[in-house]
Amino acid sequence: MNATTSAEEDLAAVEQVLAGDVEAFEGIVRRWQSPLINMAWRYCRDRSRAEEMAQEAFIRAWRGLSRWRRESSFSTWLFALAANVYRSELKRFPAQTLPLESAHEPSGAASQLSELEERRRQEALRRAVLALPLRYREPVILYYFHEMDLAAAASAMSLPQGTMKARLSRARALLRRRFPQLEEESAVVELTALNPGKEAAN
Amino acid sequence: MNWTKTIRSEENGAGADRNARMEAEIGRILATEEKLIPSSGFMASVMEQVRQEAALPRPISFPWTWAVAGILLAGGVFGWGVFEILRPELPALDILALRALTLPSPQAWVPLAGPVEEVGWVAMALVISLLCWLLSRRLAGSGGLL
Repeated sequence: MNATTSAEEDLAAVEQVLAGDVEAFEGIVRRWQSPLINMAWRYCRDRSRAEEMAQEAFIRAWRGLSRWRRESSFSTWLFALAANVYRSELKRFPAQTLPLESAHEPSGAASQLSELEERRRQEALRRAVLALPLRYREPVILYYFHEMDLAAAASAMSLPQGTMKARLSRARALLRRRFPQLEEESAVVELTALNPGKEAAN
Repeated sequence: MNWTKTIRSEENGAGADRNARMEAEIGRILATEEKLIPSSGFMASVMEQVRQEAALPRPISFPWTWAVAGILLAGGVFGWGVFEILRPELPALDILALRALTLPSPQAWVPLAGPVEEVGWVAMALVISLLCWLLSRRLAGSGGLL
Protein backbone atom coordinates (compact mmCIF):
# COMPACT_ATOMS: atom_id res chain seq x y z
CA MET A 1 0.00 0.00 0.00
CA ASN A 2 1.55 3.34 -0.96
CA ALA A 3 1.38 6.49 1.16
CA THR A 4 -1.10 8.31 -1.07
CA THR A 5 -3.59 5.44 -1.03
CA SER A 6 -3.25 5.15 2.72
CA ALA A 7 -3.81 8.89 3.19
CA GLU A 8 -6.90 8.76 0.96
CA GLU A 9 -8.24 5.76 2.85
CA ASP A 10 -7.63 7.52 6.16
CA LEU A 11 -9.42 10.63 4.99
CA ALA A 12 -12.38 8.62 3.69
CA ALA A 13 -12.60 6.62 6.93
CA VAL A 14 -12.46 9.76 9.05
CA GLU A 15 -15.24 11.37 6.97
CA GLN A 16 -17.37 8.25 7.42
CA VAL A 17 -16.78 8.13 11.18
CA LEU A 18 -17.63 11.82 11.53
CA ALA A 19 -20.81 11.18 9.56
CA GLY A 20 -21.82 8.62 12.19
CA ASP A 21 -20.46 5.32 10.83
CA VAL A 22 -18.73 3.85 13.89
CA GLU A 23 -17.58 0.73 12.01
CA ALA A 24 -15.48 2.81 9.62
CA PHE A 25 -13.07 3.36 12.50
CA GLU A 26 -12.06 -0.29 12.17
CA GLY A 27 -10.18 0.52 8.97
CA ILE A 28 -8.14 3.13 10.83
CA VAL A 29 -7.36 0.68 13.65
CA ARG A 30 -6.37 -2.02 11.13
CA ARG A 31 -3.97 0.29 9.31
CA TRP A 32 -2.38 1.90 12.37
CA GLN A 33 -2.45 -0.78 15.07
CA SER A 34 1.01 -2.09 14.33
CA PRO A 35 2.78 1.32 14.21
CA LEU A 36 1.05 2.51 17.36
CA ILE A 37 1.85 -0.66 19.32
CA ASN A 38 5.47 -0.60 18.16
CA MET A 39 5.75 3.05 19.11
CA ALA A 40 4.32 2.31 22.57
CA TRP A 41 6.73 -0.62 22.90
CA ARG A 42 9.65 1.75 22.44
CA TYR A 43 8.28 3.88 25.26
CA CYS A 44 7.84 1.08 27.80
CA ARG A 45 9.40 -2.16 26.45
CA ASP A 46 6.50 -4.14 27.91
CA ARG A 47 4.30 -5.89 25.38
CA SER A 48 1.01 -5.97 27.26
CA ARG A 49 1.42 -2.42 28.45
CA ALA A 50 2.27 -1.31 24.91
CA GLU A 51 -1.06 -2.72 23.71
CA GLU A 52 -2.94 -1.01 26.54
CA MET A 53 -1.29 2.29 25.74
CA ALA A 54 -1.99 1.90 22.02
CA GLN A 55 -5.64 1.10 22.81
CA GLU A 56 -5.89 4.27 24.88
CA ALA A 57 -4.36 6.23 21.99
CA PHE A 58 -6.99 4.85 19.60
CA ILE A 59 -9.81 5.76 21.99
CA ARG A 60 -8.45 9.30 22.33
CA ALA A 61 -8.18 9.47 18.54
CA TRP A 62 -11.81 8.34 18.25
CA ARG A 63 -12.94 11.03 20.69
CA GLY A 64 -10.86 13.76 19.09
CA LEU A 65 -11.29 12.85 15.42
CA SER A 66 -13.20 16.06 14.71
CA ARG A 67 -10.20 18.05 15.94
CA TRP A 68 -7.95 16.72 13.18
CA ARG A 69 -7.32 19.66 10.84
CA ARG A 70 -6.48 18.56 7.36
CA GLU A 71 -3.40 20.82 7.34
CA SER A 72 -1.19 17.92 8.43
CA SER A 73 -1.48 14.28 7.39
CA PHE A 74 -3.63 11.95 9.46
CA SER A 75 -0.57 9.93 10.45
CA THR A 76 1.24 13.04 11.74
CA TRP A 77 -1.78 13.95 13.86
CA LEU A 78 -2.20 10.37 15.11
CA PHE A 79 1.47 9.98 16.06
CA ALA A 80 1.50 13.33 17.88
CA LEU A 81 -1.63 12.33 19.77
CA ALA A 82 -0.18 8.90 20.60
CA ALA A 83 3.07 10.49 21.82
CA ASN A 84 1.04 12.71 24.15
CA VAL A 85 -0.92 9.73 25.46
CA TYR A 86 2.21 7.62 26.02
CA ARG A 87 4.03 10.49 27.69
CA SER A 88 1.22 11.13 30.16
CA GLU A 89 0.70 7.39 30.77
CA LEU A 90 4.36 6.99 31.64
CA LYS A 91 4.23 10.01 33.91
CA ARG A 92 1.39 8.38 35.82
CA PHE A 93 2.97 4.92 35.91
CA PRO A 94 6.66 5.05 34.95
CA ALA A 95 8.18 2.12 33.08
CA GLN A 96 10.41 -0.19 35.11
CA THR A 97 13.88 1.10 34.36
CA LEU A 98 17.29 1.07 35.97
CA PRO A 99 19.15 4.35 36.41
CA LEU A 100 21.45 5.02 33.46
CA GLU A 101 24.51 4.59 35.71
CA SER A 102 23.49 1.02 36.56
CA ALA A 103 22.77 -0.05 32.97
CA HIS A 104 25.69 -2.47 32.68
CA GLU A 105 27.37 -3.05 29.40
CA PRO A 106 27.65 -6.77 28.77
CA SER A 107 31.28 -7.81 29.16
CA GLY A 108 33.36 -9.84 26.74
CA ALA A 109 35.92 -9.13 24.10
CA ALA A 110 34.68 -7.95 20.77
CA SER A 111 36.04 -10.99 18.98
CA GLN A 112 34.07 -13.35 21.24
CA LEU A 113 30.71 -11.80 20.59
CA SER A 114 28.21 -14.53 20.05
CA GLU A 115 24.85 -13.83 18.53
CA LEU A 116 23.24 -14.15 21.93
CA GLU A 117 25.64 -11.71 23.49
CA GLU A 118 25.15 -9.30 20.64
CA ARG A 119 21.42 -9.42 21.21
CA ARG A 120 21.84 -8.91 24.93
CA ARG A 121 24.10 -5.94 24.31
CA GLN A 122 21.62 -4.40 21.90
CA GLU A 123 18.75 -4.93 24.33
CA ALA A 124 20.82 -3.34 27.12
CA LEU A 125 21.34 -0.28 24.95
CA ARG A 126 17.64 -0.07 24.05
CA ARG A 127 16.69 -0.34 27.71
CA ALA A 128 19.28 2.30 28.58
CA VAL A 129 17.31 4.69 26.36
CA LEU A 130 14.43 4.40 28.84
CA ALA A 131 16.75 5.53 31.63
CA LEU A 132 17.60 8.78 29.84
CA PRO A 133 15.99 11.96 31.17
CA LEU A 134 12.59 12.45 29.49
CA ARG A 135 13.70 15.48 27.42
CA TYR A 136 16.36 13.27 25.72
CA ARG A 137 14.53 9.95 25.85
CA GLU A 138 11.54 10.93 23.75
CA PRO A 139 13.50 12.45 20.84
CA VAL A 140 15.54 9.22 20.62
CA ILE A 141 12.42 7.04 20.70
CA LEU A 142 10.58 9.07 18.07
CA TYR A 143 13.58 9.66 15.79
CA TYR A 144 14.37 5.97 15.44
CA PHE A 145 10.70 4.99 15.37
CA HIS A 146 10.23 7.33 12.41
CA GLU A 147 13.20 5.69 10.68
CA MET A 148 15.48 8.66 11.33
CA ASP A 149 13.10 11.18 9.79
CA LEU A 150 13.94 14.27 11.85
CA ALA A 151 10.99 16.31 10.54
CA ALA A 152 8.46 13.60 11.43
CA ALA A 153 9.92 13.11 14.88
CA ALA A 154 10.03 16.85 15.56
CA SER A 155 6.46 17.24 14.40
CA ALA A 156 5.29 14.40 16.67
CA MET A 157 6.78 16.28 19.61
CA SER A 158 5.77 19.74 18.34
CA LEU A 159 9.41 20.83 18.60
CA PRO A 160 11.57 22.81 16.16
CA GLN A 161 13.94 20.56 14.22
CA GLY A 162 16.99 22.37 15.62
CA THR A 163 15.94 21.62 19.21
CA MET A 164 15.22 18.04 18.27
CA LYS A 165 18.66 17.68 16.69
CA ALA A 166 20.39 19.15 19.75
CA ARG A 167 18.54 16.82 22.12
CA LEU A 168 19.35 13.82 19.94
CA SER A 169 22.99 14.72 19.95
CA ARG A 170 23.03 15.08 23.74
CA ALA A 171 21.18 11.77 24.14
CA ARG A 172 23.71 9.97 21.92
CA ALA A 173 26.56 11.48 23.92
CA LEU A 174 25.00 10.22 27.17
CA LEU A 175 24.58 6.73 25.71
CA ARG A 176 28.11 6.77 24.29
CA ARG A 177 29.55 7.50 27.73
CA ARG A 178 27.49 4.70 29.22
CA PHE A 179 28.60 2.17 26.59
CA PRO A 180 32.29 2.78 25.89
CA GLN A 181 32.78 -0.76 24.58
CA LEU A 182 30.66 0.10 21.57
CA GLU A 183 33.75 1.68 20.04
CA GLU A 184 35.65 -1.59 19.78
CA GLU A 185 32.60 -3.39 18.55
CA SER A 186 31.77 -0.81 15.92
CA ALA A 187 35.34 -1.26 14.64
CA VAL A 188 34.73 -5.01 14.44
CA VAL A 189 31.50 -4.41 12.53
CA GLU A 190 33.36 -2.17 10.08
CA LEU A 191 36.17 -4.73 9.66
CA THR A 192 33.66 -7.52 9.13
CA ALA A 193 31.93 -5.45 6.49
CA LEU A 194 35.25 -4.75 4.75
CA ASN A 195 36.74 -8.28 5.01
CA PRO A 196 33.91 -10.75 5.49
CA GLY A 197 36.05 -13.77 4.48
CA LYS A 198 38.89 -12.95 6.84
CA GLU A 199 36.56 -12.44 9.79
CA ALA A 200 34.84 -15.76 9.07
CA ALA A 201 38.20 -17.54 8.97
CA ASN A 202 39.07 -16.14 12.40
CA MET B 1 55.26 24.28 19.37
CA ASN B 2 53.58 23.69 16.03
CA TRP B 3 54.09 19.96 16.51
CA THR B 4 52.21 20.07 19.81
CA LYS B 5 49.33 21.82 18.11
CA THR B 6 49.35 19.32 15.28
CA ILE B 7 49.38 16.35 17.65
CA ARG B 8 46.57 17.86 19.74
CA SER B 9 44.44 18.52 16.66
CA GLU B 10 45.11 14.97 15.44
CA GLU B 11 44.05 13.66 18.86
CA ASN B 12 40.93 15.81 18.72
CA GLY B 13 40.27 14.56 15.24
CA ALA B 14 40.73 10.96 16.36
CA GLY B 15 38.41 11.57 19.33
CA ALA B 16 35.76 13.06 17.07
CA ASP B 17 36.10 10.07 14.71
CA ARG B 18 35.76 7.65 17.61
CA ASN B 19 32.67 9.47 18.89
CA ALA B 20 31.15 9.53 15.44
CA ARG B 21 31.79 5.76 15.05
CA MET B 22 30.21 5.00 18.40
CA GLU B 23 27.20 7.17 17.69
CA ALA B 24 26.78 5.50 14.34
CA GLU B 25 26.80 2.15 16.14
CA ILE B 26 24.22 3.38 18.66
CA GLY B 27 22.09 4.59 15.77
CA ARG B 28 22.42 1.26 13.98
CA ILE B 29 21.27 -0.65 17.06
CA LEU B 30 18.37 1.65 17.83
CA ALA B 31 17.22 1.73 14.22
CA THR B 32 17.07 -2.06 13.93
CA GLU B 33 14.28 -3.07 16.23
CA GLU B 34 12.22 -6.20 15.76
CA LYS B 35 8.60 -5.38 14.97
CA LEU B 36 5.86 -6.47 17.37
CA ILE B 37 2.81 -8.03 15.80
CA PRO B 38 -0.47 -6.94 17.43
CA SER B 39 -2.19 -9.71 19.36
CA SER B 40 -5.19 -11.30 17.66
CA GLY B 41 -7.79 -9.70 19.92
CA PHE B 42 -6.37 -6.18 19.84
CA MET B 43 -8.52 -4.74 17.09
CA ALA B 44 -11.68 -6.35 18.46
CA SER B 45 -10.91 -4.96 21.89
CA VAL B 46 -10.42 -1.42 20.54
CA MET B 47 -13.60 -1.59 18.46
CA GLU B 48 -15.57 -2.93 21.43
CA GLN B 49 -14.54 0.07 23.49
CA VAL B 50 -15.28 2.44 20.61
CA ARG B 51 -18.78 0.97 20.23
CA GLN B 52 -19.40 1.38 23.95
CA GLU B 53 -18.30 5.00 23.76
CA ALA B 54 -20.49 5.60 20.72
CA ALA B 55 -23.53 4.19 22.54
CA LEU B 56 -23.17 6.62 25.44
CA PRO B 57 -25.10 9.93 25.31
CA ARG B 58 -22.97 12.86 24.27
CA PRO B 59 -21.56 14.70 27.27
CA ILE B 60 -23.07 18.08 28.05
CA SER B 61 -20.82 20.75 26.65
CA PHE B 62 -19.87 23.43 29.11
CA PRO B 63 -22.02 26.56 28.51
CA TRP B 64 -19.17 29.02 28.14
CA THR B 65 -21.39 31.87 26.90
CA TRP B 66 -23.64 31.70 29.93
CA ALA B 67 -20.74 31.12 32.28
CA VAL B 68 -18.85 34.15 31.02
CA ALA B 69 -21.99 36.31 31.22
CA GLY B 70 -22.64 35.06 34.77
CA ILE B 71 -19.05 35.65 35.87
CA LEU B 72 -19.10 39.18 34.43
CA LEU B 73 -22.43 39.92 36.14
CA ALA B 74 -21.26 38.51 39.48
CA GLY B 75 -17.98 40.40 39.17
CA GLY B 76 -19.84 43.63 38.43
CA VAL B 77 -22.18 43.19 41.41
CA PHE B 78 -19.27 42.31 43.68
CA GLY B 79 -17.26 45.29 42.47
CA TRP B 80 -20.20 47.61 42.96
CA GLY B 81 -20.74 46.24 46.49
CA VAL B 82 -17.09 46.75 47.40
CA PHE B 83 -17.16 50.23 45.95
CA GLU B 84 -20.30 51.13 47.94
CA ILE B 85 -18.69 49.85 51.13
CA LEU B 86 -15.46 51.77 50.55
CA ARG B 87 -17.02 54.99 49.29
CA PRO B 88 -17.47 56.65 52.72
CA GLU B 89 -13.82 55.94 53.39
CA LEU B 90 -12.69 57.98 50.43
CA PRO B 91 -13.26 61.62 51.48
CA ALA B 92 -10.52 62.92 49.25
CA LEU B 93 -12.40 61.93 46.14
CA ASP B 94 -15.02 64.08 44.54
CA ILE B 95 -18.22 62.46 45.80
CA LEU B 96 -20.36 64.18 43.23
CA ALA B 97 -18.26 62.87 40.40
CA LEU B 98 -18.41 59.37 41.86
CA ARG B 99 -22.19 59.54 42.21
CA ALA B 100 -22.45 60.32 38.55
CA LEU B 101 -20.64 57.04 37.80
CA THR B 102 -22.57 54.77 40.15
CA LEU B 103 -26.09 53.54 40.51
CA PRO B 104 -28.48 55.68 42.56
CA SER B 105 -27.49 55.64 46.21
CA PRO B 106 -29.79 54.01 48.79
CA GLN B 107 -30.87 57.53 49.91
CA ALA B 108 -32.53 58.02 46.55
CA TRP B 109 -34.82 55.07 47.30
CA VAL B 110 -36.22 56.56 50.47
CA PRO B 111 -39.75 56.85 49.06
CA LEU B 112 -39.70 53.07 48.39
CA ALA B 113 -38.54 52.21 51.87
CA GLY B 114 -40.65 49.91 53.97
CA PRO B 115 -42.74 46.88 52.97
CA VAL B 116 -42.72 47.70 49.25
CA GLU B 117 -38.95 47.47 49.15
CA GLU B 118 -38.94 44.07 50.88
CA VAL B 119 -41.51 42.72 48.44
CA GLY B 120 -39.34 43.96 45.60
CA TRP B 121 -36.32 42.04 46.91
CA VAL B 122 -38.38 38.87 47.35
CA ALA B 123 -39.79 39.22 43.83
CA MET B 124 -36.32 39.70 42.40
CA ALA B 125 -35.04 36.59 44.21
CA LEU B 126 -37.96 34.57 42.85
CA VAL B 127 -37.36 35.78 39.31
CA ILE B 128 -33.66 34.89 39.55
CA SER B 129 -34.53 31.42 40.92
CA LEU B 130 -37.00 30.89 38.08
CA LEU B 131 -34.43 31.93 35.52
CA CYS B 132 -31.88 29.52 37.05
CA TRP B 133 -34.36 26.67 36.94
CA LEU B 134 -35.33 27.38 33.33
CA LEU B 135 -31.69 27.62 32.32
CA SER B 136 -30.70 24.33 33.96
CA ARG B 137 -33.71 22.55 32.35
CA ARG B 138 -32.73 23.92 28.98
CA LEU B 139 -29.12 22.80 29.36
CA ALA B 140 -30.12 19.35 30.54
CA GLY B 141 -32.58 19.08 27.64
CA SER B 142 -29.96 19.96 25.05
CA GLY B 143 -27.68 17.31 26.54
CA GLY B 144 -30.37 14.66 26.00
CA LEU B 145 -30.96 14.05 29.70
CA LEU B 146 -34.59 15.30 29.69
